[in-house]
Amino acid sequence: MNDKPRVLVVDDESQLTRVLRTGLSAHGYEVRTATDGVEGLRQANDWRPDLIITDLAMPNMDGLELCRKIRSVSQVPIIVLSAKGEEKIKVEALDLGADDFITKPFGIDELLARVRAALRRSSVQSANETDQARFEAGDFQVDLENHSVKVSGKEIRLTPKEFDLLVYFTKHPGKVLTHRTLLAAVWGGNYVEQNEYLRVFVGNLRKKIERDPATPKYILTEPWIGYRFDPDGQPN
Amino acid sequence: MRTRLFDKTWTAYAVVVSSVIVLTIFLKLVGQHVNSTTVGLVFLLDVLCIATRWGSLPALVTSFIAVLCFNYFFLPPFGTFNISSADNWVALGAFLITALIAGQLSARAKKRAEEAEAGKTQIEKLYSQLRDAFERASQSEALRQSEKLKSALLDAVTHDLRTPLTSIKASITTLLDDQRGEPDGQQTFTIDADSKLEMMEVIDQETDRLTRFISGLIELARIEAGQLQLRRRWGAVEEIVSNALSRAEPITRDHRIELGIEKDLPVVRVDERAVSEVVYTLIDNAAKYSPAGSRIIIGAKQSQHDQIRMEVENEGTTIPPALRERVFDRFFRATRDGDISTHQPSGTGMGLAIAKGIVEAHGGKIWIESGSEGTGTKVAFTLPIGDEEPSEMLSSPDESEREL
Repeated sequence: MNDKPRVLVVDDESQLTRVLRTGLSAHGYEVRTATDGVEGLRQANDWRPDLIITDLAMPNMDGLELCRKIRSVSQVPIIVLSAKGEEKIKVEALDLGADDFITKPFGIDELLARVRAALRRSSVQSANETDQARFEAGDFQVDLENHSVKVSGKEIRLTPKEFDLLVYFTKHPGKVLTHRTLLAAVWGGNYVEQNEYLRVFVGNLRKKIERDPATPKYILTEPWIGYRFDPDGQPN
Repeated sequence: MRTRLFDKTWTAYAVVVSSVIVLTIFLKLVGQHVNSTTVGLVFLLDVLCIATRWGSLPALVTSFIAVLCFNYFFLPPFGTFNISSADNWVALGAFLITALIAGQLSARAKKRAEEAEAGKTQIEKLYSQLRDAFERASQSEALRQSEKLKSALLDAVTHDLRTPLTSIKASITTLLDDQRGEPDGQQTFTIDADSKLEMMEVIDQETDRLTRFISGLIELARIEAGQLQLRRRWGAVEEIVSNALSRAEPITRDHRIELGIEKDLPVVRVDERAVSEVVYTLIDNAAKYSPAGSRIIIGAKQSQHDQIRMEVENEGTTIPPALRERVFDRFFRATRDGDISTHQPSGTGMGLAIAKGIVEAHGGKIWIESGSEGTGTKVAFTLPIGDEEPSEMLSSPDESEREL
C-alpha cells in the first residue's frame, strides 16, 4: 500500500508537466499528468488523487469546466495555475470551487507550499465537516450553540453577522474565498455584488480579533479577489 | 453695426439725389439736342442702376425725383410743374410706371440672387460639417478596432513569452532546491541524475523556444513596418527547395518526402534565403500537423508564363475553409484557436504570417487548398519569375545598404 499523497497535474504544456512531475515526485508525491480537461477528469475519477493542479486555458475542456465537473462529485483540493492578466477567469475558477491559485511563472517552493497547505486543509476540513457544536481552528475556539468565539483563550463579542462570517472563515482555513463566495454564504444570493458590506464587516472583525488591525495576520486580503483566513495567524 | 447700416442708407439716398441732379445738369448742358424720349430713357437707366445696387426703396425714390426733374426741366413749359400738352402727360405717366416696375423687378431679382447665394453657402457649410463629423466618427471606430486588436495581440505575445518562462522557472528552482538542500531541513530529498538531466534539457529547449519566438517577433515587426529588404538574385528553385529540405531534415525524419519539381524550370529572381525560409516553414507545419509515416509532397512548376508556383502538401487534417484565411494571421494556431485538436506541439504562431509577408514582398500570393486527394492540407504560393524591373532597381540601388 502506497501512502504517498497523489497529485494530478493537468496542463497542455508538456514541458511544464514534465518539470512538475519530476519536481513533485522528488518531494515525495505520486504524480500523474493529463494534457487537457477531458483526460484530467477521467484521471480524477479513476485514480482519485488527493490534490489537483490545473491550468486554466486548455484545448477540449478548459480548467473552469474541469473545476465545475470535479466539484459536482468531489471536494478534492484544486489549485489553478493562472497568469497575470487573467484575474477574471481566476476569480471564476475560485467561485466554482477551486481552493487556491498560483501565478505563472512560479518557483517550485511556492507551489510546494501551496500543495502542503491545501492537503493539510483538506484533512482539517474533513474533521470539521461533521456538524460539531464546538470546534477549534488554530487560535480560534468556536462554540456554535452559545454563539461564542475565543481567540487564544480570550472571549470576543461579535454581532450575529460577524459571527457567521468568522465561522465561515474558520471552516475554510487557508482557502482563497472570493467576495462572491463570502457574500453568498453569509448574506445570501441577493447580495453577491455588495462588496462594500463585506469590506465593512471584515474591517469590524479585524478590529476585534487582530492584534494590529492595520497589518492583519488572520484575515488576509487577496487583492481584487477576496480573503484568505489563516487560523494560526503566522507572520507571512 | 447699427450706425453702419444707417450710413449705408444715407449713402444710398445721397447717391440717388446726386445721380438725378448730375444727369439733369448733363442733359441740360447737352441742351436742345435731346428730346423727351432720350431724357426718359436716361433716367430709366439711372433707376435700374440704383435698384440693382441698393434695392427697391432707393429705386422708388429715384423714380419720383426723376419724374419731378423730368417735368420741371424737360417738359414744356420749362421751369414749372405744369404740362401743356396731353402727349407729355402720357409720356410722363408712362415713364413713371415703367420706372417703378423696372425698379421693383430688378431689385427683386437682385434679392433673389443674394438669397440663392446665401443658401448655397449654407449648404456648403452644412456639407463640410457633416463630412467632418463622419470622418471623426470613422477615425474613432478605426482607433477602437486597432486598440482591440493590439490588446488581443499583447495577450497572445505575453502568453507565448510566459509559457516557456514558467517551465524554466519551475525547473531551475527545482534544481536550486536540490543544490541548496531543504531550507527547513525537515525533509531531505534528492533528484536522481536522470531527472536533473531532464530539467536541464527543459531549460535548454525552452530558452531556444523563447529565442525563436523573439526572432519571429522581430521578423514580423520588420515585415509590418515595410522594412523587409529583399536581396534578389537569380537562383534555381531546386536549390531553394533542397536548402529548406536539408534544414528540415531533423523534423521530417518520421515522414516520407516526395519531390515533384518540374524539369527545366527557369531561374527566378528572388531573395533565396527568404524563400527558402518560406518553404521550410511550410514543411515544418506539414510535418507538425500530420501523423508520422505519412507523405509530405513538395511541388514546383511554372504557372502562366511569368510565375513559379510552389506547394507543400501533407496527409494530415484538412483545414476547414472558414479558417484558411485566418491561419495567416499573427499568432493564430490551429490547435489552440481553431477546431482542430491534436496534441502536436504548437509553434510560435508566426511562421505562416512571416511566410505571407515574404511572399507578398516578392509580389506573389499564398493560400491554402485541400490536399489533392480531398484529404490533408496543401499550402501553395506563387512568385513572379522577375525581369530586370527598372522600378525595383531604382528602389534598391545600393547593394551594401540591403544588408538586414
